Amino acid sequence: MLSSMAAAGSVKAALQVTEVLEAIVSCCVGPEGRQVLCTKPTGEVLLSRNGGRLLEALHLEHPIARMIVDCVSSHLKKTGDGAKTFIIYLCRLLRGLHAFTEREKDSLMCENIQMYGRHWKNCCQWKFISQALLTFQTQVLDGIMDQYLSRHFLSIFSSAKERTLCRSSLELLLEAYFCGRVGRNNHKFISQLMCDYFFKCMTCKSGIDVFELVDDCFVELNVGVTGLPVSDSRIIAGLVLQKDFSMYCPADGDIRMVIVTETIQPLFSTSGSEFILNSEAQFQTSQFWIIEKTKAIMKHLHSQNVKLLLSSVRQPDFVIYYAGVNGISVVECLSSEEISLIQRIVGLSPFVLPHAFSQCEISNTALVKFCKPLILRSRRYVHLGLISTCTFIPHCIVLCGPVQGLIEQHEDALHGAFKMLQQLFKDLDLNYVTQANDQNDTASLFICKNSGESYRVPDAGNGSIQKPYPDTVVENKDELEKTQTYLKAYSNLAISDVELETCIPYSTPKLTPADTFQTDETLRCLSLEENSLIGDYEALLKSSSTAYSTRGNSGIEICYENLQVTNITGKGGLLPMSYKLQNMGTSQSYLSSSVPAGCVLPVGGNFEILLHYYLLNYAKKCHQSEETMVSMIIANALLGIPKVLYKSKTGKDSFPHMYVRALHALQTNQPIVSSQAGLESVTGKCQLLTSVLQCLTQILTIDLVITVKRHPQKIHSQDSEDEL
Amino acid sequence: MSRLDTKKPSLCKSEPLTSERVRTTLSVLKRIVTSCYGPSGRLKQLRNGSGGYVCTTSQSSALLSHLSVTHPILKILTTSVQNHVSSFSDCGLFTAILCCNLIENVQRLGLTPTTVINLNKHLLSLCISYLKSETCGCRIPVDFSSTQILLCLVRSILTSKPACTLTRAETEHVSALILRAFLLTIPENAEGHIILGKSLIVPLKGQRVIDSTVLPGILIEMSEVQLMRLIPIKKSTALKVALFCTTLSGDISDTGEGTVVLSYGVSLENAVLDQLLNLGRQLVSDHVDLVLCQKVIHPSLKQFLNMHRVIAIDRIGVTLMEPLTKMTGTQPIGSLGSISPNSYGSVKEVCTAKFGSKHFVHLIPNEATICSLLLCNRNDTAWDELKLTCQTALHVLQLTLKEPWALLGGGCTETHLAAYIRHKTHNNPESILKDDECTQTELQLIAEAFCSALESVVGSLEHDGGEILTDMKYGHLWSVQADSPCLVNWPDLLSQCGCGLYNSQEELSWSFLRSTRHPFVPQTCLSHEAVGSVSNLTLDCLTAKLSGLQVAVETANLILDLSYVIEDKN
Repeated sequence: MLSSMAAAGSVKAALQVTEVLEAIVSCCVGPEGRQVLCTKPTGEVLLSRNGGRLLEALHLEHPIARMIVDCVSSHLKKTGDGAKTFIIYLCRLLRGLHAFTEREKDSLMCENIQMYGRHWKNCCQWKFISQALLTFQTQVLDGIMDQYLSRHFLSIFSSAKERTLCRSSLELLLEAYFCGRVGRNNHKFISQLMCDYFFKCMTCKSGIDVFELVDDCFVELNVGVTGLPVSDSRIIAGLVLQKDFSMYCPADGDIRMVIVTETIQPLFSTSGSEFILNSEAQFQTSQFWIIEKTKAIMKHLHSQNVKLLLSSVRQPDFVIYYAGVNGISVVECLSSEEISLIQRIVGLSPFVLPHAFSQCEISNTALVKFCKPLILRSRRYVHLGLISTCTFIPHCIVLCGPVQGLIEQHEDALHGAFKMLQQLFKDLDLNYVTQANDQNDTASLFICKNSGESYRVPDAGNGSIQKPYPDTVVENKDELEKTQTYLKAYSNLAISDVELETCIPYSTPKLTPADTFQTDETLRCLSLEENSLIGDYEALLKSSSTAYSTRGNSGIEICYENLQVTNITGKGGLLPMSYKLQNMGTSQSYLSSSVPAGCVLPVGGNFEILLHYYLLNYAKKCHQSEETMVSMIIANALLGIPKVLYKSKTGKDSFPHMYVRALHALQTNQPIVSSQAGLESVTGKCQLLTSVLQCLTQILTIDLVITVKRHPQKIHSQDSEDEL
Repeated sequence: MSRLDTKKPSLCKSEPLTSERVRTTLSVLKRIVTSCYGPSGRLKQLRNGSGGYVCTTSQSSALLSHLSVTHPILKILTTSVQNHVSSFSDCGLFTAILCCNLIENVQRLGLTPTTVINLNKHLLSLCISYLKSETCGCRIPVDFSSTQILLCLVRSILTSKPACTLTRAETEHVSALILRAFLLTIPENAEGHIILGKSLIVPLKGQRVIDSTVLPGILIEMSEVQLMRLIPIKKSTALKVALFCTTLSGDISDTGEGTVVLSYGVSLENAVLDQLLNLGRQLVSDHVDLVLCQKVIHPSLKQFLNMHRVIAIDRIGVTLMEPLTKMTGTQPIGSLGSISPNSYGSVKEVCTAKFGSKHFVHLIPNEATICSLLLCNRNDTAWDELKLTCQTALHVLQLTLKEPWALLGGGCTETHLAAYIRHKTHNNPESILKDDECTQTELQLIAEAFCSALESVVGSLEHDGGEILTDMKYGHLWSVQADSPCLVNWPDLLSQCGCGLYNSQEELSWSFLRSTRHPFVPQTCLSHEAVGSVSNLTLDCLTAKLSGLQVAVETANLILDLSYVIEDKN
């Protein structure tokens, strides 16, 4: 009975689904990608190249497709990028698996097994493969990333210790990002806009918290204006509220503002209470009292130099009138998001109405540089020059476009770019298992056995400037708390001994083409939050060495790689970097390391080809057959992205040519020449690969899909609640 | 009740532009908009199948807002035109036609979208920089010290909307009124930053257009009975005005979320009325002459005020509040209790007026930037069209004040621009192909498509089967009547170019617009003598046209870039 409603959850079915999805998303991938027009049920039109949006707009019915969409959206929630790549990877992986099992099946064809029996057998096989995938992902993949791939990583920061971000590198990163997100005639403009916005909002002390603020309040930080060409979009200093003044009194000089969350005019009765009127005179006196009280409050605000009243509720006419009489501008009905954004920027808590009114100072007022109406295409907005008390300098983006759908696309892309940057500024932990003798692979390292001393960078050949190695022993007291959390995180692992491998920040090599603008670029560089990594690691090293000193192992070794600056020719302020934290114990050891914040690779499938190459190498050395198979399948699936990216290229730029060139370069230890300028985040790619493999293991573990002919219960109850 | 339907899957279509259905709907839309274009454009009658209002128009804003477009691609096109019109008022049809032409022309070529979009963008920036440059041969400076060019600008807008059904004399009259209304909104002594006032359009349907007039100040419509009750005040000094934004009807204001319990015999209405009469007493003692209220005034209070020779006018409505505040210099009063003396404003005079069958109270300001444009036309639809046109003209004048340039109209700008682009791409393709992977052939193809799209826009100015020519010196547009004999001397047949700047007495050579021509250098840099000598020019708004051009190319690029359409079927 079940069989009529149940469909075998096979790789084949999943493959068919993903192939359809791949056909749709692959037309939007990369710089050559095109737009997709979606209509909403309300009839509005939306332009999009955002994979997540497209998948949602399709309203897929197939259960496996829905599962995939869920996986994608949970990945997007985390990283804000990579939906299209997700589908392409998944499709290629499934195709690889399918081809592999078809081959196996051919050899097993002679065995005569019953229909159902074979299905169950297949399922067992899938389960087996999915476990192999999972072990590979958790135990091997990070290791390859850490041991081989990391030597190719570049850093977006021009100084690793201080996390200084150079405008030119950020431009490269953002341009590559927007290439895949907005229409091709706008991506340059939008990425410039984003770059400007980034540098205008950041102070030298800004850090991760700014990204969080912008991410949380992105809707409030931009204004869409239809009917103007996209090129009219701009950045405005200060905060623009999408409201008009209820009362506007021009003011200058010392402007103070207060925030209120209740009506200023006292009311007859509050909820739950009764007000008994015995005579008409009583009514008149109480009204008189209310008016006098309101007047007194407004006078008091006036005497405190308050010129602006922000209210989250509607104020009675009388309050607005009296505000006007006292020269106070009023903005009413602000949303809770707007209020919280203002509070986060100026650090101001709402003004509580004094119940027993006294002439005390109002402490919670804030200074405002200006407050004036802003007219954008005949609509009026409130423009506030807030003085920030946090590290975010308030700026708003005015996004223009001929239609709303395009503005929404740009807004979406800008938001995604902030999410991507937020991820980029975090370290990504890598945990894996390795054999001890694998260490031979990193033979090219130049190891110095010393600790706590200053180093000098040896001359890197062509005129690079020497710079003393920053003293690693200095501990950052402010970051003590953070260090402790790090310690907690690491203390769970069986650490036997630690090896820190780091590299020295180079000053940028002098390059003739980039020479002229480099000087003013560096002036514009803003240093971001001081990177506490080195300090943290030092603390960690100490603690772990004391804890395990009884073992008498080799202690702490600080090594540095003399990486060649020449292999990143043309990329001004970048430098190669790698931190490594290894624990070497018995032959099978658990290692933990991280992809440090700010790791990038050139765009155009570089990450995929590198990982492909190293996975193939790994597969050759593998002893177990399923590990070989898994790594081969992943390696081949990775090529999907560069294949799509190079689809339209012909001749020497076509994919096979590029692939052969890249492999040759890797084998002979030469730098890979990328045809496209632009950078992409390594962290995002790593997270993406992990998410895809997890999604794949989920798909493989399903053996049956049972269709239930009943209305979804949960939605029902939610809907009826809404109507109540 | 609850919705139990699960969401239906969406419909996904690839390469939407290649489908026959999209092409036909696009060409239908194109036919609709091209047939409306220009002074001899055909009118469209829009009506709902189930009855109701009928609209006769040839303006893009009215046309597109009444059309219900279902196909998503068409929706993109029409909304982007509508958004352009709502911010610039003018050049909507131009934008729509250019966009349709571009899509059609480019599709015929079959080049990859990347190349097309890149090159379109380059050509657009070439156009924009030329139109903004000093050497531009198709724009003239607007001189605000004389009315000549401003009148030309307004007249061109009026003549391009045939649905207003104006005669020549009426056009002259209305143009002069619009210009006067605009000039009245400019403050007399402005320092630095000018804030323009407002012209309020007052409807007067069923009257002759010639009866339209402009008055300084505000007209408030009233019934005859109400008007009779008003006692006109004669006073040598200015009248004191109080403007209320709160209701004076005696409603009990918000009492809060809790309950108010009344003892037996307590009448709050009386209490509030007492309060209102107290307010009346205060107004009288403050020597207020005129009380205006956005909402309703309680009859007792009204009577009280009348008794004390104070004029009370209520139900003014929210739209008049802002101009009234500005004109009288009051602060809208939101209180029944105490009124700050600073909140009162003043007007010079209050009088009653009768226009047609309507009665008005006329508030005349001391000096203010608010004026009323009493607009008459024969019937409703013609009046609606005329009102839209007046709004467009006023807006265009404002835009021109910001950017004091005008483009030559009558199609001359488009043909001139096309000639310039042809010449540029032919003689200097390297400057455009700097960093792209496009070939010269591709550039020539796209440039030709772009120029012919521009030229077919002006080609659609001609609806009566006439021919359109262009001269080989200035690149201007010349049109020939349909029934003219062939094989005659061109200068005899052609009298003036489209904008009216040049006449055929000069030694010029012409060619048909649709024929292939050798690229030539259109004469740049307009001479001042040439402009000064002509009194009747056809002009277009520079700001609106520039934005229209940009929006048209951007929208066409957007539509050409579509690879899939996902339609939500829920």
